[in-house]
Amino acid sequence: MATSESIASREEIGRQELMLQVGFIRSNTFRWASAVAGVLAVFVVVLFGFIYWKIDQYLITRSDRMIAQQIRYIAELPPERRINAIEDHLAQDSRSVQFAGLFDPKGNLLAGNIEQLPEGLEIGAPVRTVKVARAERKELGDPLVRAIAQRLPNGDTFMIGRNVDETGEISHVVGEALALGLLPAFCLCLLAGAWLSLRAQKRVEEVNQRVQRIIAGNLRERLPHRNVDEPFSRLAAIVNGMLDEMETMITALSGVGNDIAHDLRTPLTRARLTLERGRTNATTLEQLQEVADKAIAGIDQSLTIITALLRLAEIENSRRSAAFGSVALHQMVREVCDVYEPIAEDKGINLGVRIADDLEVRGDRDLLFEAVANLVDNAIKFTSAGGRVDLELAREDRETIVRVTDTGPGINRQETEAVLRRFYRSDKIRNTPGVGLGLNLVSAIVKLHGFRLVIHPGPGGRVEIISPDGKLN
Amino acid sequence: MAKVLLIEDDSETAEEITAELTDRGFEVEWSSNGIDGLDMARSLRPDAMIVDRLLPGMDGLTVIEALRKDQVRTPVLVLSALGAVDDRVRGLRMGGDDYLTKPFAVVELIARIEALLRRPVETRETTLRVGPLELDLIERTVKRGERRIELLPREFRLLEYMMRRSDQLLTRAMLLEEVWNYKFVPATNLVDVHMGRLRHKVDGPGDTPMIHNVRGAGFVLRTLS
Repeated sequence: MATSESIASREEIGRQELMLQVGFIRSNTFRWASAVAGVLAVFVVVLFGFIYWKIDQYLITRSDRMIAQQIRYIAELPPERRINAIEDHLAQDSRSVQFAGLFDPKGNLLAGNIEQLPEGLEIGAPVRTVKVARAERKELGDPLVRAIAQRLPNGDTFMIGRNVDETGEISHVVGEALALGLLPAFCLCLLAGAWLSLRAQKRVEEVNQRVQRIIAGNLRERLPHRNVDEPFSRLAAIVNGMLDEMETMITALSGVGNDIAHDLRTPLTRARLTLERGRTNATTLEQLQEVADKAIAGIDQSLTIITALLRLAEIENSRRSAAFGSVALHQMVREVCDVYEPIAEDKGINLGVRIADDLEVRGDRDLLFEAVANLVDNAIKFTSAGGRVDLELAREDRETIVRVTDTGPGINRQETEAVLRRFYRSDKIRNTPGVGLGLNLVSAIVKLHGFRLVIHPGPGGRVEIISPDGKLN
Repeated sequence: MAKVLLIEDDSETAEEITAELTDRGFEVEWSSNGIDGLDMARSLRPDAMIVDRLLPGMDGLTVIEALRKDQVRTPVLVLSALGAVDDRVRGLRMGGDDYLTKPFAVVELIARIEALLRRPVETRETTLRVGPLELDLIERTVKRGERRIELLPREFRLLEYMMRRSDQLLTRAMLLEEVWNYKFVPATNLVDVHMGRLRHKVDGPGDTPMIHNVRGAGFVLRTLS
C-alpha cells in the first residue's frame, strides 16, 4: 500500500514537473524575455550593419583619394619615366589590388596590367566603379574596381584603379564579430527569461498550494513571503493581511452562530418540555390549551429572535442611501417621546424631552425612528420606578446629537463595546426580558447613515447618535 | 359567503389556511402555482385573494401586477418568507393590499383577510358613529352619549381607526402599522399600553365596555346592541 502510494506520488511529481516545463514556455515572463531577446538581436544587427556601411564608405573615399593622387603624380612625370613608374607602382602591390593601364591613341596597351580601357569609364570624370579585364592571370575573373582615367598631353590615355573588394573582407569580419557577440547575448536573454519564468511559476505554484489548503478550510494558512521589498512579497503580505481580517471575522461569526443557537434553543427547549409534560399530565381541555399557549409563546420568542436577526441582516446589507431624504429630527424625537410617554408613566418613570432647535439630517426616517425608539425602549426597560429617562436633541461642535440618558444602572466601561455584540446581555440584567439585539440594530442603522453611535459608561445610561456636519452619505 | 382564492405552493400550509378559513365561513379555492392561479382569479372572480410571493411558474407579485393590468381590483393579501419590504411591495400597499410575513399567526391572517373584505367605505360624513360613540373629524371631539371624552392626538387617531372598523378584530401588528406607522415590531407592548389608556377613557365606570381585548389576538370595538 505504502509503495503504491509512493509510486503514485512520484508519478504525480513527475507530471507536475512536466506541467511546470510546459507552463514556463507558455508563461508570460518567458514570452517577454523572448520578445526582449528578439528586439535586442534586431538592434544589434542594425547597429553592426550601420558600422559596416560607415566603414565601407570611409574606405572607398580613402582609396578614391589615393587613386586621384596617384594618377596626378604619374601624369605629371615626363613621358619616358612614366612606364617605369607604372611598373614600379604595380610591382609594389603585393595583394594585387592595384590596376593601371597606359594606352596610345590607338588603344594599344603601352604599360600596365589591363587589356583595354574599361567600358563606361569616361576620361576626366571623377572616380567611379567599373569592370576591368585583366591582362594576365585571367583565371581570377574580371574584378570591379574604383577607377579614373586621364588624357595625357602626348595623346596617350592613362587609367588607374583599385580593387575595393577589401570591404567584403571587412563585412566578413563584422559578421563574425556579430555571431560571436549576438548569439551568446540572445541565449543569455532566453536563459534569464526561462529562469525568471520558472521562479515565478514556482512561487505561483507554492501560493496555489497554500490557497488550496485555505479553501480546504485551514484558515490559519498564510502565503509565503520573504522580508524583502519585492512585488511578490508585498502582494503576499497584503493578502495575508486580508486573510488575518477574514479569519477574525469568520471566528467572530461562528461565535455569533453559537450565540444564536443558544438563544434559540432556550425557548424551544422550554416549549418542548411544556408540550411533553402537558401531553402526559393534562386531563382537561383547559389544561391542554394552557400548555399549548405556553408552547406557542416559546415558539414565538424564537421567531422574534429570527425576525430580529433577519432585520439586522437586511439593514446591514441594504444600500438604501439612494432613498435618503431630509428627516426633521425635532418632529421625530417628539413623536418617539409621544409614543413612549404612557409606557414610561405606567412604569413610574419620568420621560423628559429637550429639543434645542429644529434640526434636520439626511437619512431614512423610518430607520432613524426605529433606532431612537429602540434606545428609549431600552432606557425605560432598564430604569426602575421613580427614575428618569431624557431624550435630547442638541447641536454641539458642528454635530447634531440625539442623546438618550437614564438613571438606570448604565453600562460598565468594559461593557461599552461588548453591548454591540449580538445577543450580548449584561449579567446584571439577564433576567430582564428582551432579545438582546436592540443595540445591534441601532448600531447597524447608525452605520448605514454614516453616523456615530457613542455609548458612555455608567453609572446612568447615556447613549448618543451623532451626525457630523457635511456628511453626505 | 365570501369567496377567497388562495395561491400557495406548499400544500400543507394551504390545507391549514383552507381549513381555518372554511371554519370561519369562507369559501376557499386553492391553486398551487402562479399561472393556474392567475387563470382562476380571472374566471372565479373571488372577493379576496391570498397570494404567496414565491411561486413556481410565475411569482406572486407578477400575478397581482397582471391582474391589475386587466383592471381586476380584487384585494390581495401577499404572504412572504421575505421580511424585507421592498419597493414593489410598497407599491402594492398603496393600492390597499396587504402584506404578511411568514411565519404568521392564523388569527393575524384571518383578521387581515376580514379587514380586506370589509374595507371602510370612504364617506363624506364628518362624524363617525358607533353605538353611543360619536367622533367629529372636523372639531376633533369625541362624545360617548352626553359625556365628552378628551383624547390626545394619537388616541384620537386610534379611536378613529377602530370606529371605521367596528366589530372587526384588529391585531397589534395591524394597529402598529396603520396607527403608529411603525415598520417594525417594538420590544415593548406599545399597543397594549396605549389601548389601555384609550379604553379607560372610552369605557368609563358604569359604562358597558366597548373596547374588548381578544386574548392572544388583538382588540375589537364592539357596537352595543
